[in-house]
Amino acid sequence: MSVSSELLINEGSMRRNRAVRRFGQIGLWLNPVFAYFFLWAPIVILVLFSFNDSRSVASFTGFTLKWYNNILNNVMGAERAFSTEIMLNAFRNSLFVGTVATAIATALGAMIALALARGNFPGKKLIDGLLFLPVVIPEITQAISLAIFFKVAFDWIATISGERIFPGFHTIIMAHVTFNISFVAIVVRARLADMDPQLEEAANDLGANPWRTFWRITFPLVLPGVVSGALLAFTLSLDDFVITFFTSGVGTSTLPVFVYGLLKLTVTPEVNAISTIMMVLSTLLIGISLVLQARSASRV
Amino acid sequence: MTTYDVELIDIVKDFESGGKPVRAVDHVSAQIADGEFFALLGPSGCGKTTTLRLIAGFEQPTAGKVLIRGLAMEGIPAYHRPVNTVFQDYALFPHLTVEQNIMFGLQMEGVNKKEARKRASESLDMVRLPDVGARKPHQLSGGQQQRVALARALVKKPAVLLLDEPLGALDLKLRVNMQYELKALQRDVGITFIYVTHDQEEAITMADRIAVMNEGKMLQIGSPREIYEHPDTHFVADFIGETNFIAGALLDQDADGFGRVRLADESVIKAQLSQTLRSAGGAVTVAIRPERIGISTLQQRPEALGTDVDSGEITLLDALLVDSQYIGTDTRYTVRIGDESDLVVRVQNTSERDNSAIAVGQPFKIFWRPSSATVLDR
Repeated sequence: MSVSSELLINEGSMRRNRAVRRFGQIGLWLNPVFAYFFLWAPIVILVLFSFNDSRSVASFTGFTLKWYNNILNNVMGAERAFSTEIMLNAFRNSLFVGTVATAIATALGAMIALALARGNFPGKKLIDGLLFLPVVIPEITQAISLAIFFKVAFDWIATISGERIFPGFHTIIMAHVTFNISFVAIVVRARLADMDPQLEEAANDLGANPWRTFWRITFPLVLPGVVSGALLAFTLSLDDFVITFFTSGVGTSTLPVFVYGLLKLTVTPEVNAISTIMMVLSTLLIGISLVLQARSASRV
Repeated sequence: MTTYDVELIDIVKDFESGGKPVRAVDHVSAQIADGEFFALLGPSGCGKTTTLRLIAGFEQPTAGKVLIRGLAMEGIPAYHRPVNTVFQDYALFPHLTVEQNIMFGLQMEGVNKKEARKRASESLDMVRLPDVGARKPHQLSGGQQQRVALARALVKKPAVLLLDEPLGALDLKLRVNMQYELKALQRDVGITFIYVTHDQEEAITMADRIAVMNEGKMLQIGSPREIYEHPDTHFVADFIGETNFIAGALLDQDADGFGRVRLADESVIKAQLSQTLRSAGGAVTVAIRPERIGISTLQQRPEALGTDVDSGEITLLDALLVDSQYIGTDTRYTVRIGDESDLVVRVQNTSERDNSAIAVGQPFKIFWRPSSATVLDR
């Protein structure tokens, strides 16, 4: 009697435990669902309405590609002409700024990372700390500081040489380089930190001088880090609005600045379409960057 | 003048640590002959790895000289030294295949690809690991990676091979197997090995000579037998194997290198003096290995001992059994002698003798030869 009742109690409590655990599991599953809902809902709506057959965002009336079609055919709604040419020009500007700024920032950032990881010089800790500054200071602060810096510098050059320099691609590129250096350096630095320094000693030991050690061992091993840093820099450069807005001159609008110009009128489905394309492009680049980082991390 | 493969002349190495200089290697001198298997043995942080790195050229000595084949190595970078290293964690290049790893060193010498490939494959055969050339290091087991690291270093045919705890990451059984293999390999290739380890058993099994290091100092250099049987210092006696230490006072020394020591209970025993004994009298320690002590009721001709004692050929002391432990091959007894100190005695278990025949509290005599005991500075 006592034995069987004990068994029953155990069975009951086990059933209760199982129910609690089941509930917990559902909770654990629901938690990210809600979190991701808040994170992604606006983006999902944006993408959804870029395919909406109606000009109004009140309801989804059907699937269409006409907004994508419109932006490639100089049409923007019924009332206003849209210049595909200006958009494509802005996109070309973005690519140009992104490519040049990425190339410079990647070279400089990778060198800084290498110096910080392997070098031993006074002030190394300070430089290491300052590396994170552009990442943490508000973008608007950086944008204004760059705008003031360029103004002061150009005024100064003008008084010395009498030659006035106007903002243009060079100022945008310089500005993008300044914030991208940090991102590249941080990514490459992390990669170098993961790398066993004994590998370089082993290469040395086997008769490779520092130059050959770098090109045969260090560089191939940090290359995935450099590439993923470059992709990150390129993405940030493509997406940047605030800093570009403050440092651009006439006729150098990048795609985000162009989109902002469209928004001044009204949010049209065409804007949704452009934004969706930009988002897909950025996500793709970041995705490649992450895959590269993960794959190379597993190899060290 | 004899030239050695490696000669360390009064090496000092200081490191900066938190603003304070720390002496990692403290006036170390050693001569290592061609074809010798030389072990640097000591606890972690004793300076043995730093010594190895000084020979490899990864560190520069603060003072002193490293000579390799009679040539001063000052200012010669690691990549120009005729030595190669097997690293503790192997340090195989993860982005290269096994074959490319082994060919790397040859290509740095300018050996052409075809020749390098041939020698790499020979080298893999030598470490009994053919058919893995196309694989990446991470696809190999720890033991296999270890062999590849060995092949990569040996393919360069260095004057000296430096090994930094190469078996440390392997499991026990593999480690023991590799000890024999490494020793056999060293005999075959005839290259000088300098082998860093903290494992005394490993050093004793493999090395021709052992240098015991502690706190940056090289305390004793000698054959495994010398180190084990005649430790020069308390540290060496304690670090290598198990040792009993008995406190006493040195009364006198004779011409044969023996001395008489009075223990706390006034009994006087004879023991061999250590090579480096500084004290000419006064407080000393007598070291005696547990397996060198006999127990009269169990072993060895107690009736014969009487005459030996008188002639000073044997040391005989009264003792009581405190505890005994069966540990497989041996029985380990704790016995208390007249001065109230406890000694450990190990007696081998054999089929002829019943080692459990003595009981706790039972009195008997323990004995040893004076040459088995060493007088050390306290």
